[in-house]
Amino acid sequence: MAQSQPNLASDLLAHLSTKGLSPTPTWLTTFLTTVRPNTPIAALKQTALFRILASDIKETTTFTPSSVFPPDIQDGTIKDRNLPGPLLVQVLDVEDIGTSRWSQVEAIEAQERGEFTRGREIIRVTDEADQAQQGATQAANARNRQQQQQQQPGEQKSWGPHKLLLQDARGAVVYGIELVKVDKIGLDMHIGAKLVLQNATVARGVVMLEPATVTFLGGKIDDLYTAWKEGRKDRLKAAAGMT
Amino acid sequence: MRILCVAEKPSIAKAVANHLAGRVVTHNVNGTPYVKNYCFDYNFRQWGQSSVTFTSAQGHITSSDFGPRYKSWQSCLPIALFEADINTTIDDKMKPVAENIRQQSRYAQIVFIWTDCDREGEYIGSEIRDLAVAAKPGIQVKRARFSNIERNHVIQAAGNPVDLDERQVQAVAARIELDFRLGTAFTRMQTLALKPLVEQADPGYKVISYGSCQFPTLGFVVDRYLRVKNFKPEPFWYIKVSHKKDDINVNFTWSRGHLFDRMAVTIMFERCLAAKQAKVVEMLTKPTSKWRPLPLTTLELQKCGSRFLRMTGQEVMKHAEKLYTAGWISYPRTETDQFSKDMDLKKLVEKQQQSQQWGQYAEMLMGGGFNQPRVGRNNDEAHPPIHPVNFVVPTQLSEPEKRVYEFVTRRFLACCSEDAKGVSAELGIEWGVEKFNAKGLTVLQRNYLDVYPYDKWESSQQLPPFTVGETFIPMEAKITDGKTTAPSYLTEPELLSLMDANGIGTDATMHEHVEKIKDRNYVMTRSIGGSRAPAAVAESAETTRGGRGGRGRGRGGRGGAAATARGGSGMLEFIPTTLGVALIEGYDQVGFETSLGKPHLRKEMELQMKAICAGTKTKYEVVQQNLDQYRNVYSRSVQQIDVLKTAIRKYVLQQNVG
Repeated sequence: MAQSQPNLASDLLAHLSTKGLSPTPTWLTTFLTTVRPNTPIAALKQTALFRILASDIKETTTFTPSSVFPPDIQDGTIKDRNLPGPLLVQVLDVEDIGTSRWSQVEAIEAQERGEFTRGREIIRVTDEADQAQQGATQAANARNRQQQQQQQPGEQKSWGPHKLLLQDARGAVVYGIELVKVDKIGLDMHIGAKLVLQNATVARGVVMLEPATVTFLGGKIDDLYTAWKEGRKDRLKAAAGMT
Repeated sequence: MRILCVAEKPSIAKAVANHLAGRVVTHNVNGTPYVKNYCFDYNFRQWGQSSVTFTSAQGHITSSDFGPRYKSWQSCLPIALFEADINTTIDDKMKPVAENIRQQSRYAQIVFIWTDCDREGEYIGSEIRDLAVAAKPGIQVKRARFSNIERNHVIQAAGNPVDLDERQVQAVAARIELDFRLGTAFTRMQTLALKPLVEQADPGYKVISYGSCQFPTLGFVVDRYLRVKNFKPEPFWYIKVSHKKDDINVNFTWSRGHLFDRMAVTIMFERCLAAKQAKVVEMLTKPTSKWRPLPLTTLELQKCGSRFLRMTGQEVMKHAEKLYTAGWISYPRTETDQFSKDMDLKKLVEKQQQSQQWGQYAEMLMGGGFNQPRVGRNNDEAHPPIHPVNFVVPTQLSEPEKRVYEFVTRRFLACCSEDAKGVSAELGIEWGVEKFNAKGLTVLQRNYLDVYPYDKWESSQQLPPFTVGETFIPMEAKITDGKTTAPSYLTEPELLSLMDANGIGTDATMHEHVEKIKDRNYVMTRSIGGSRAPAAVAESAETTRGGRGGRGRGRGGRGGAAATARGGSGMLEFIPTTLGVALIEGYDQVGFETSLGKPHLRKEMELQMKAICAGTKTKYEVVQQNLDQYRNVYSRSVQQIDVLKTAIRKYVLQQNVG
């Protein structure tokens, strides 16, 4: 079932565009050189999607005027306008604006100490890890890992609404506010995650995020994410006037 | 048959003897003014007509000590105390008591132990047993199981002896050994190292004591103190909507509460205004009820004492203990918040009919208003919830005893009542995508609230009639701002709850640990000012969002009690001294995972006590395992003693150090 290169390329393009992604020809070419020719098309599609979601869209995607923000996007005098899209953006920052910065800092510090609270109970996260080291059977390890994974979202849980800093393929940045709860948007999402906006409203230069107009594609940009994570506590402290 | 009965305290011996005997002859005991021997005849169901001597101990009889080689603080490195031989000796003060038990045992065929039915009582029972068996090998040992000293109950217990529970004895023995070794070793170590520094600020300071419950308790106080101290207020904004209909003004609250981003709120508000019409999406009227309280546990008694009676946990327990000894209330140390089904609660209610204050209410219960109490989640399998056993005329009691008795009784009557009933109305509107709500409550039947003034539940303003789908333009809408406020210092009920949730101490000992850290000058208390602003409204709203989870002891009704009782009730709040802060910060810096100021190590120990009681672990295993763990902490603390010294310099001596 060997497919010719051009066919393969167009198949991939077609697949990615259903997701709202339009890679540059350079990206596509480079991508195709890194894959083995006999890889089944379904797997290729998945790999391509995964890679492009982990990339910086400024470098890897093409755009048309309607797939990026208009140049005056930040204009605060415009009360209300519609962006038909589809418009691909990546998340540069996420904040929980429903919770005070101070309590967020406290939560981070508790986590740094290896604690989290359940009701009034203070729990050491490392308890399970310690036992796993001692206990050592694989099953136990797996179970512990599972427990920790279950705990992670618990620690990071944010109620929102969230305020996001979004960037389009051309590099323009704009704030977005979670006007209605959107699944997967939260402090536990990765920086560099991609969203597609369709028929989104922009009010006073801010994108209104709602489930009806936002598709969450996922992905992340490792460097950005690491830097964001490391700097988050200091940013919160600075914002709360704690430094 | 000759039977020697031994209670834990003289007052119990006297009370039980008087219940059992027709006529009692009282003999003095050599060397102690407190303990008496009460002699009488009694016909035991299982042993027949017997000649009885009823005496008592005075709490624990033996105490632990290290051998002469280790006694002096200079004689050894404190770490040696982790292994040093321990001598168990009879306290000098207890010698007459012990001698009396020995002597009386020689005449008896059976020693019948009447110590309190909890872990500690079981252990004291074993001390009594050891004395009796040593004095008279082969003597039969039995134990009475009782939870109050009301006459019928006592007679029941006399007729149904059981054996001592060796596991509970072992659990307490493990606890005693660990507390003693660790307490002495760490106290010596930190006193030797830190006292010279502390003395510079406080020349009279003697011993910087350590206790494995004291320190985590102190840790909670310090933790909160630092949170208060480090707090920075932050501005927030929210949308306020009100609307008048049928001449009734309705204030709506925003479903988002408040947000910490002005731009976001401004945009959301503008979008509301642009939507013009608000639409009613919910108008619900439904019956609602405020649940009667759960049966009373020790912890709850202490928390309520602090909230409603302005007494510390220690004080409440002291008075409750007296009321128990006098036979007015049941045993005040219990974790149980469920009455067993076979208890005749009505009979207890009946006794309260003679009260001037709540007699009428009790009559109403007897006349058909009685309800079986709610069933809580905790049962220590030893004692029922705290309840009045007999009616007592108030003039027989001291002022504070009166208040404790009143609380216990009202609580009990409330438990046996019907929930308060009302109708709640919920009005929900959508304005653009924003949601706003208004609530109304009409209390229809106060029921238990009539006898339980400690709970508040009052009708609010009524909502005007709205219908779903109805639209209107809100008459008033605006953005309002506010600021977060610092949490308040830890109050006693909060401290007790933290200790409970984290396994520090038992219900019966928690208040003692709290007293200890006051005695040691690690914390100070002060009364909360009557005018304190509603503390931490914003922040506490956030913290409750996470749900209670965990052990989630649903005590005291449906939660929320803490919030409503806040605000100037004259409760005490805890503030650490500089020494207290220095110790906790110092140990935290030595290592968080095993900091002595954190509850984790002690919590584990408490769980292991339970494992001994359940028979899954032995005393030896538990002691060794804990010693190993604490030995690590000990060596780390010694290695990094400069960290502790720095903390003392920083806080106690107020020196600026790097």
